[in-house]
Amino acid sequence: MSIWDKILQLDRRWIYLMVALAVIFPLIVPMTFKIYITPEVRQLYNAIDSLPDSSVVMLTFDYYPSTLAETEPMSVAALNQLFQKNCKVLTLTTVPLGGPSIAERVTRKIAKKYHKVYGVDYVNLGYKANYVAVLKGMGTSIEAIYPTDNSGTPLSKLPMMKHIKNYNDIKFIFVVSDNGIVDYWISIVNAQYGIPVGSGVTAVMAPKFYSYIGSKQMTGLLGGMKGAAEYEILVKERGMAVKGMTMQSLVHLLIIGLVILGNVAFFASRRNHKKGEHF
Amino acid sequence: MRTVVPVIIAFLSGFIMIVAFFFNPDKTILGKIESEVLVWVTIVGGFTLLLGVVSITRVNWQAVKTKKKGWIYNFLTLLSIFVMAIPAMLPSSWSPFFGDSSGSVYDWLFNYIDAPMMGTMFAMLAFYIASAAFRAFRARNAEATLLLLTAVLVMLWRIPMGEAFLRLFSDSLPQMINNYVMNGVNLAVQRGILIGAALGAASMSLRIMLGIERTYMGKG
Repeated sequence: MSIWDKILQLDRRWIYLMVALAVIFPLIVPMTFKIYITPEVRQLYNAIDSLPDSSVVMLTFDYYPSTLAETEPMSVAALNQLFQKNCKVLTLTTVPLGGPSIAERVTRKIAKKYHKVYGVDYVNLGYKANYVAVLKGMGTSIEAIYPTDNSGTPLSKLPMMKHIKNYNDIKFIFVVSDNGIVDYWISIVNAQYGIPVGSGVTAVMAPKFYSYIGSKQMTGLLGGMKGAAEYEILVKERGMAVKGMTMQSLVHLLIIGLVILGNVAFFASRRNHKKGEHF
Repeated sequence: MRTVVPVIIAFLSGFIMIVAFFFNPDKTILGKIESEVLVWVTIVGGFTLLLGVVSITRVNWQAVKTKKKGWIYNFLTLLSIFVMAIPAMLPSSWSPFFGDSSGSVYDWLFNYIDAPMMGTMFAMLAFYIASAAFRAFRARNAEATLLLLTAVLVMLWRIPMGEAFLRLFSDSLPQMINNYVMNGVNLAVQRGILIGAALGAASMSLRIMLGIERTYMGKG
């Protein structure tokens, strides 16, 4: 058996070990690399930055706990930018598993930092089943769909909600998601009500949404942890995404190295076998 | 009767939603009906969640009762559902452990068991992807080679170290990948898929409204 055959039959546990080391190594030896800002991220940042002071912005937490590593830094950075600009933030989720809890935990933490008051500066609407009806229904009346907030307080008792009736009162919608709900925010809310929608999605989902950026139906896009890291830099609040970039870099490089090694070994082994057949 | 009534409901619901789009919801009866229907849909959606819980309880309870192979997992599923749901449904005024606010049983279980477990499952993908990429990603023909090269370029572009490496060749290389790969070829393909899927969804909706498509009633 040649060296190339041995490489091709490499035990997968060695690969798992290499991935583990690539993740652990930056924790021991910190490394920093310059993060360049892509136009899609800058577009999202600028869209929020250009909103008038005290504008109402809807921020969604449409993600499951499994993708927190990619999506939560986006929500945190978004809240930082929105509260820095004194925007009124309306949060909600279309994901039943964890969405309301994540929204509550993240929003309260960031709001505390900026001394924002619940009900005055931000409101968490929570979760309602059947997202298509929820998205469409809020175009007529948010209160009809969400009579109370996440903790059961009637919306009529929250000062911030007195001036927010439907999408007409919302200046921008920031969708942070790990699932297909983004399509509905575009096709229902942006297309039918003309509200600008920007989004932060997982890296595997991001390529799909370039078509919405191209058609100007989406105003800015954060793609995966890299998008979140770029956004953190623009907001000037470096967090988990910037920290995670080194680990992601090493794992990407490892995968690229393994693909190259696998191909070299594959073709070298095939050539050796062909030579062997001739003799 | 069992076929005609659902078809009529499906037709009317779809028809109202389509036609009402062209009317002001505040000033016309049709618009008001649309708003009302949308509230109904969210209520029905809530009941479907309840139906899901009833269904999962029945299936798992049956397996526990008959001591089916692996019944312990069915038991754990039931235990997880009720331990998480019951304290969350009880009013927080009774105890700080009830409800779903910070400090409740639900919140604790979610933050310290559910979220880490789901995160772990997702993180394990990195190990499988690395192993699969090593074994399966081969430049066997022109198409596969093109895919492989594009994947490598995009993977490099999406990381700071990779971008720094690409900039060694040309400062405009990362921008070119963004312009020609993501906003070029990728955009065109994704748009084609989206338009195809949207046309498919529209035709399926029409089939349901006209009663041609009846699989949702359990009929072919």
